[in-house]
Amino acid sequence: MTPTARAWVAHLTAGGTTPWAQWRAAADHATADTGGEPDPGGTARHLRYLPGAQQLELLRRLNEAGRPGPALAERVLATSAPGRGIADLELVGAARDTPFGPRPVDPADLPDAELVRVATGLLAEDVVAGGPAAPEPGRRAWPWRRRYRLVGDPWLADPARAELVRRRRPPGGQQPTVHVVGADLASMLEHVWSARALVGAAPAWRDWLDPLVRRRRVPPRIDLPAVAGAWATRVGPVRVRVVLDPALLPGLLGTRAPLPGPLPLSADALELSRRVGAALGLLVLPEQRTRLLQQAWAPALADLPAARGTGVAVPQRRLARLTEVATRMREELCRADYPVLGDPDLLLPAATRRSDVEPTDAGVLALALAMVLGPTPGASPGSSAGPSPGNGPAPDEEER
Amino acid sequence: MTRRVLLHVGTPKTGTSYLQDVLFRNTRALAEAGISYPAHRFDAHFLAALDLMRMPWGGLEAEAIGAWDALAARVRAHEGTSIVSHEILATASRTQVGRALASLGHGDGAEVHVLLSVRDLVRQIPAEWQENVKHRSRIRYAEFLEQIRDPDRATRIGSWFWGVQEVPDILDRWGHDLPPERVHLITVPPPGGGPELLWRRFSHAFGLDEVDLDLHAERSNPSLGVPETALLRRINAAAHRELAPADYRPLVRELLAHQTLSQRTGSPRLSLPPDLHPWVAELTEQWLAELRRRRYDVVGDLEDLVGAVPDPRRWADPDKPVEAQVARAGVAAVTALLLDNARLRHEEERLAGELAQAHEALHRAYLRPTYRLREKLVARLQGGRAGRALLKVYRVARGRSSLAA
Repeated sequence: MTPTARAWVAHLTAGGTTPWAQWRAAADHATADTGGEPDPGGTARHLRYLPGAQQLELLRRLNEAGRPGPALAERVLATSAPGRGIADLELVGAARDTPFGPRPVDPADLPDAELVRVATGLLAEDVVAGGPAAPEPGRRAWPWRRRYRLVGDPWLADPARAELVRRRRPPGGQQPTVHVVGADLASMLEHVWSARALVGAAPAWRDWLDPLVRRRRVPPRIDLPAVAGAWATRVGPVRVRVVLDPALLPGLLGTRAPLPGPLPLSADALELSRRVGAALGLLVLPEQRTRLLQQAWAPALADLPAARGTGVAVPQRRLARLTEVATRMREELCRADYPVLGDPDLLLPAATRRSDVEPTDAGVLALALAMVLGPTPGASPGSSAGPSPGNGPAPDEEER
Repeated sequence: MTRRVLLHVGTPKTGTSYLQDVLFRNTRALAEAGISYPAHRFDAHFLAALDLMRMPWGGLEAEAIGAWDALAARVRAHEGTSIVSHEILATASRTQVGRALASLGHGDGAEVHVLLSVRDLVRQIPAEWQENVKHRSRIRYAEFLEQIRDPDRATRIGSWFWGVQEVPDILDRWGHDLPPERVHLITVPPPGGGPELLWRRFSHAFGLDEVDLDLHAERSNPSLGVPETALLRRINAAAHRELAPADYRPLVRELLAHQTLSQRTGSPRLSLPPDLHPWVAELTEQWLAELRRRRYDVVGDLEDLVGAVPDPRRWADPDKPVEAQVARAGVAAVTALLLDNARLRHEEERLAGELAQAHEALHRAYLRPTYRLREKLVARLQGGRAGRALLKVYRVARGRSSLAA
């Protein structure tokens, strides 16, 4: 480790934000390789090796975004990115001249995705350390509740079901009515991916969506005629409803208060969740990962104003093919012998719907930095309970 | 007694599976000689390496959680020599190396030695591509070669390949905090050198010469020929979406690749394209100069890394294999799958027979008069509130909540 590099590490550990190239140029200018700044933090003195360029640049960005503190700084420098990918890289100008190993880099040239990789390792550790929210004490079910099951679009059904459980109205019981919840096909696809991002191990949005649309396939959970048909065979068509208008749900389920919608997470927030989920999978078992993502990670993320938005959106050029598939689904539903509540045309993606919203690496990194630094001061706890009607897309959700 | 840790960190395709198999099957003999090979299952060190490097591996990572710390604790608890061995450790970052060495006691009284078994790039390059294919990859050989020649190493393939194969860089990462006499290079003999010679080198490096070991191998990682690898790549392309990693490992990697296709030794062997040899030769010269300069302990001969010049007349391109040879490999694969399917059918029939016998025995038990009497009584009691309360009291008194009686 050269003295200049050692001094830069100390500078970063003490909260400095000078980029490496500038630091190096200043050191060259001073013609003193001992650096123009003393080693105030002391962390760099005991380092036996120079941390990777990814870790150093992440720490610099964290210093720009807030005040990480010495303990977090040390953790950042000691954490390699989880998973496979580019190895820890050396600093250009600080590594000894050798033809071996990956080429040294200027940390400022690193792609944002590389910094996100390191950040997800730290965030996953934080989530595990925090643990899931304490479970609410089990309460006896309300004896006169309406017996139901809620299936279909997981992004709509899961939060509604969770709220009903909280209101002492768990699903099941004797002879329940099965409500198959849905929306337009494009929204349902966006919802399934969003739900998977909070379960863990989801593929990237377009890697998941494109093959499905190309093959005209529909994920099993939102293949509404198939789901409703399977339940009709099991419990009889008179006890199955397809609900295309979620506003009808409270009345159908025998509750007056409105049911909450999904967490209003932006495309970047969902993508960060997906990546944190992948890192979490290396620290805990799959069931615990899902619990941590949904009960600890997602609510904390949704408290961050920059993480709020309306999620990913199917590209415009895919809508025509989705309309074909949705038309077929609509015809099947119209022929079926169970009731369909809501206009079956609601299945067809509207031509005016928002489209082409995808995560960006810069947006994901900004959120990752905010989450590594900790909850945003002033964010009101519990503000993530449901979508607010005025929520527009976050600035980082603009079309690419 | 000095605690010694022999940490074998790679490289892949240098006889590591055989070494680890021998060590695992001889843990008792090793323990009697004061040597610990702390592994409760044959892949324990692989799981520990995954955990140390936080690396996903087709679902196996869930079994790896906490494995490194558990392994390190067992090493620290042993007064004497401990051996840790897995080839994917070669790709660990400096940070991970620092954590690994510290957790094994480096700087805290333990004498840690790093061992690296190495083979010439002429054989390692095709072998690494084949390993990729045996791990579900669909990448063609030409594309693989292109990616590993990219100086930026920006792809997964390039990054992984050099991470586990670039000997001077691996030893920079693993050996930078150790004196050179504690870094040991074990060279794989040139083709024709014989597996016994490699074992003798391993045995010498690990200090096993005086231990009476059973050297019969149960596990190894055998190589495939050109048409067999081409066939496997096509199977990957066709089945990778449908076949989950947990099914791929036993069916494709084990049954087809290791047990079936590797037996076909008469087909053309995979090799380095002759036109790439000058590049490999130049690279090897750089490596040798650097390794000689560092004065590590070498078991074998550094010249083994030079590799044989590929014979252009024997070059067979796996991207354009002889289709008749691939078809023959395909027939062997189908036959193996049929035989395995037949075995499973027989097993299914046997299990179905056992289940039928169990059902019959259960049915006979139901036919007993006392059972029918109890059944009637329970049905009667469940018909009224008082009866249900009585049943509840009975079940609480009996101490379990089963509804069976």
